[in-house]
Amino acid sequence: MGDYIISVEGLVKRFKDVVAVDNISFKVRRGEIYGLLGPNGAGKTTTINILITLLKPTSGKAFIDGIDVVEEPDKVRKKIGVVFQDPTLDNFLTAYENLYIHGRIYGLSGRELDERIKEALEFVELRQYANKVVRYFSGGMRRRLEIARALLHEPEILFLDEPTIGLDPQSRNKVWEYVGSVRREKGVTIFMTTHYMDEAEFLCDRIAVMDHGKIIAEGSPEELKSMVGSDIIIMKFNDSQRAVCLEDSLNGVIRSCRPISGNRIELVVTDAVKVLPKIFEVFERRGAVIDEVSYRRPTLNEVFLYLTGRELRDSLEESPRPTRRW
Amino acid sequence: MDLKPLNAFYVMIYRQVRRFLRARSRVVVTVVQPILWIFLFGMGMGNVFNFQNPMVDYFIKQQFNGLDYITFLLTGVVAMSIFVGSFISGVSVIFDKQFGFLKETLVSPAPRELILLGRAVGDSLVLMINAMIVLGLGFLISNELRPEGIPLAMLYAFILSIGFSSLGIAIASKMSSMEGFQMLMNLIVMPLQFVSGIFFPVERMPEWMQLIAKVNPLTYAVDGIRYWLTGRSSFNPIIDITLLLILSSISIVIAIWSFRKATIEE
Repeated sequence: MGDYIISVEGLVKRFKDVVAVDNISFKVRRGEIYGLLGPNGAGKTTTINILITLLKPTSGKAFIDGIDVVEEPDKVRKKIGVVFQDPTLDNFLTAYENLYIHGRIYGLSGRELDERIKEALEFVELRQYANKVVRYFSGGMRRRLEIARALLHEPEILFLDEPTIGLDPQSRNKVWEYVGSVRREKGVTIFMTTHYMDEAEFLCDRIAVMDHGKIIAEGSPEELKSMVGSDIIIMKFNDSQRAVCLEDSLNGVIRSCRPISGNRIELVVTDAVKVLPKIFEVFERRGAVIDEVSYRRPTLNEVFLYLTGRELRDSLEESPRPTRRW
Repeated sequence: MDLKPLNAFYVMIYRQVRRFLRARSRVVVTVVQPILWIFLFGMGMGNVFNFQNPMVDYFIKQQFNGLDYITFLLTGVVAMSIFVGSFISGVSVIFDKQFGFLKETLVSPAPRELILLGRAVGDSLVLMINAMIVLGLGFLISNELRPEGIPLAMLYAFILSIGFSSLGIAIASKMSSMEGFQMLMNLIVMPLQFVSGIFFPVERMPEWMQLIAKVNPLTYAVDGIRYWLTGRSSFNPIIDITLLLILSSISIVIAIWSFRKATIEE
């Protein structure tokens, strides 16, 4: 398998009447942080569940370090650490006991296990809470403890399913910090899913954008953003009648344009600095009064919009959470 | 990494015992409830059967394997506490499903059957301790109990416990929510209790009920435990333990089979 530690070929997963994962293929390089980005219900968790041997694919192949996840799940399980989307800690046990049980299940014991537990707790800065019952932990502490637990048996790949969902900004930053240092200090490959664009952009070396069970784009955050164009300009007018795109007059100057809320329009252009004077000129000639102008580099949200015609945020609200099978 | 599979077995025992020690409310179900049965039901009913007339009382005792009603009930309730406790503990795999711990064990390389057996054995040990507490109180209110029979009675109790926690796990593997839990308790636990000789002897049951009692594993546990604690029983204790072993083994096999198949689709 060479440089690729995860390799997925034509993967399909069908639940009764829904196709959750629709013929996806991708490869993850050893040592990189690879992210699946997409709205809820896009098939990200289903994909991860197949890779971690909890679900069997309807068709297609998935290999972890060259091992088929369907043929030899036990071998795969030894190589992976998983942080699930929903907490999986034992709330009635202490942080130390949770890690101890995990370690024993993975065949560790004695002094070695004790040392690793302490080191793992140190890593996520929970050492002083080692003997506290997990029930009393905050969401952020739990997530950190789960990361520590997933790393305890020194896996080659760490799977993170929506690692910061439901966390406050401070805890999110902490989790990001640990994820970054896991890769740097331990050289672990990280495969994660997220529906937060900023998270994918901040953490991932490469991203696969997923929607309705399909991968619709793949690349580094920069590569993805360059698909859209270079810059996004937002202009605000004093009158909603004037907030129209004037596509005919701007033909050749802008890549695309659409009206957005609050008397504003959003323009996608190649180089904002160069084309802004021209745009101003066109609007002024039509008698439009421009109240405000801002421009910025595109975010992954624009990428998603460009690819699907929907905003990632919108689709979060539109698509209901898939029925919980647990 | 050299995986020592038995580790998973031991550590699941450790986990179940630890959890029990932390979740003290479970003591209420497994210790207080049987005590309520013995005191409120047993003493009330016992008085109904007490006529202060040696002839009548002798005749009535004959209906209950030759025991006081309170002693008869008490030995049954010891088995009942194990039965209810082990069934609940098996079904509580659902909690692990809902709170995710099960997934954590399912992605681990440890053999699933060892995780399952470790769980069942851990819970059984906890239930043995509970049963001993109930039994201790029994010695205060009945003078027909034989302390020397305790170890063998507990052996029967242990086999019963493993059998029913496995059955609970097998059922829980197929269930996806807690909603069905209450129904399950009413539909399985209640009938099995009544048709087992806990409250009244099997040979005094109507014919059709005896047939059910004879395929109910709980019947043989109740009878065997009663034999070792009092020297009186409806069946031969050797038959009791043989049938108990067979029925428990079957439920372990079913449990392992359904647990091994458990993915998160079900």
